[in-house]
Amino acid sequence: MEFEFDEDQRLLRQSVRETLAKTKALPEDAQWSTYTELGWLEALPVELAIVLEELGYVADPTPFLATATWFAPLAGRLPDGAGACGGAGTAVFDGAGRYVLDADRAAEVALLTAEGVTIVPGGELAAERVATFDQRLHVAHVTAPAGTTLVARIPDLALMGLAITTVGACRKILDTTVAYVKQRHQFGVPIGSFQAVKHKAADMYVAIERAKALAYFSALTLAEKDPRAHRAALMAKAAAGECQQVVFANGLQLHGAIGFAWENELQFYLKRAVAGDLLLSTASVHRKALLAAQAPDTANGEKEAA
Amino acid sequence: MKLGDDPEVEAFRKELSGFLDANLPRPEVAAQRSRSSAHVPQWAREWQRLLFDNGWLLPNQPPEYGGRNATLPQLLAYQEELSRRRVYQSFNPQGISIIAASLLSFGTAEQKREWAIPILRAELTAALGMSEPGAGSDLAGLRTRAVDTGDHFLVNGQKVWTSGAHDSDVILTFVRTDPDAPKHKGISVLLIPTRSEGVSCRPFAYMTDPVNDVDFNEVFFTDVKVPRENLVGGLNKGWAVANGSLGHERTMLWVSYAERLEDLVRDSAPSGEHGDNEWFATLQLDLQALRLLGYQQLSGTINGTANPAGVSVLKLFGSEAVQAASRHAMEEHGCESLLFPHRTAPASHMNLDNFGSSWFERYARTFPGTIAGGTSEIHRNIIAERILGLPRS
Repeated sequence: MEFEFDEDQRLLRQSVRETLAKTKALPEDAQWSTYTELGWLEALPVELAIVLEELGYVADPTPFLATATWFAPLAGRLPDGAGACGGAGTAVFDGAGRYVLDADRAAEVALLTAEGVTIVPGGELAAERVATFDQRLHVAHVTAPAGTTLVARIPDLALMGLAITTVGACRKILDTTVAYVKQRHQFGVPIGSFQAVKHKAADMYVAIERAKALAYFSALTLAEKDPRAHRAALMAKAAAGECQQVVFANGLQLHGAIGFAWENELQFYLKRAVAGDLLLSTASVHRKALLAAQAPDTANGEKEAA
Repeated sequence: MKLGDDPEVEAFRKELSGFLDANLPRPEVAAQRSRSSAHVPQWAREWQRLLFDNGWLLPNQPPEYGGRNATLPQLLAYQEELSRRRVYQSFNPQGISIIAASLLSFGTAEQKREWAIPILRAELTAALGMSEPGAGSDLAGLRTRAVDTGDHFLVNGQKVWTSGAHDSDVILTFVRTDPDAPKHKGISVLLIPTRSEGVSCRPFAYMTDPVNDVDFNEVFFTDVKVPRENLVGGLNKGWAVANGSLGHERTMLWVSYAERLEDLVRDSAPSGEHGDNEWFATLQLDLQALRLLGYQQLSGTINGTANPAGVSVLKLFGSEAVQAASRHAMEEHGCESLLFPHRTAPASHMNLDNFGSSWFERYARTFPGTIAGGTSEIHRNIIAERILGLPRS
């Protein structure tokens, strides 16, 4: 197997980074229309993961994640309609309609019901935004239309999407932390020269590499419709949650008091990382789901697909 | 990115599988066990020689050195196949993969002929003399002294943790030849035959078994005369040999940790009676992630895009994942883990078979993984400095 980006994928990542550097200061709807015009919503799973990792890195405020990885896999298409972020969509697949990403501003909402997938215009659905710690995060409680029975089954693409977004936020926390411990001096030297600090930073890096590898593996199995796709998605979401536990704790700790201050932008990424673990259930839930999913591939993971 | 395997690698894998199926020694032939990492029973010498003659010993080397000019992805497939079957290509692993490999990279034509090829053909066994009582993680601080007398080097000093020294024919020994130079620039490498006058080895046991598990050695050198032609890689050029001594082996070291993780997946499935099973899921995540990161590092090495310090990530992550999962497996089995001797895995005659012993022993044996080859602490420093760019202390 080839587990490195090809030339096109490297170029895509570069162009996503350049675009996001330019759109950073724009209003949400201008960011959203840039993304849609560039065709990012139509990206295949690995390319979509590349986009999402970078969106996680900037704690993107648009409904991109929900539209591409919640609505699209259920509906089998992209949403229609207008609004502040025209053509945004989301989906309810938790069987309850609780903490649904972007349900308050979606043009269309896909509902997973006992009868299959029903698509409802966002305006016709009772969706109430919930105030959370992360002011840029839109989550809402949805009341299902009378007569529909909601069913719980999370699409693998949604698990992968949240996982790689979380990895992106964690990367930003690490980069911010590394920059800080290089410039912050105590006892006459940069605190980044202390071994206790280095070891915490190294652990953040390893956790991110591990979670990132599993997230891209999940994307790759989805792209190639590999039979390991479901297990890979559970692994990706669990690893992203485990990663943010290390990265949140070490990143905030190494920043010292300044990391706890509202004025420091670290807070946006810390909050995005935690939300990435809590939404669609935590690492622990996905570890249990993995154990229940099927017996592990003991012989050779790479051969199982053949 | 793609999941499928390269046809060239698959053809290679298939040929290797065919060879192993046809030629692996049967258990009754392999009755005599190896007692150290340089003690190679006759049947194991014949096995290693068979691999050498068929180009399956060091596949990335040319045929005259027991290989077939294999590519790096093929070499990875080789390590995976041997690991999966729990087959040692040699019962003197450091002899072929460190000492002989170093001689092939840094040795003279005569050293290759006199030492490397006999080691590869299992006619000689070798040990690696690096660590000293005062030089472990700080290897460059080594003090074993070699004085150039004109026609030979006169060596005095002591090595320790020298695996298999008492059963080896020769020790590739790192010595100080210029005490006035900066510490990295005054080191040379000598091939010191263990039968030389003034060499004495004192083997001592691992914590796991005082009688049957004796691999560590203290090695003392007292006025040992070493011929000048035994100098490897040039005078005061020893640090380059130290850094190059593992070569591609370093890039593939993670395969052995992946194998340990796979053993644990096979041997330690929790019953669910002892509470929290989630560690068993973490183990599977670690195994999958380690493989992915290993493939990624390999592709990057081939394309020239990899940071060499990525190997530290693989080593640190792999060894610590094995350690954590082994501790959980030990806890899962409760007091049964204390039994000794005891078996927790199918017996295997083609390796030292240490990893199928009691759960306590399996856990204890993960510590060489986090200590040898650079401690976890050293690898964290490397990641922080050479990947994240944090300043040196």
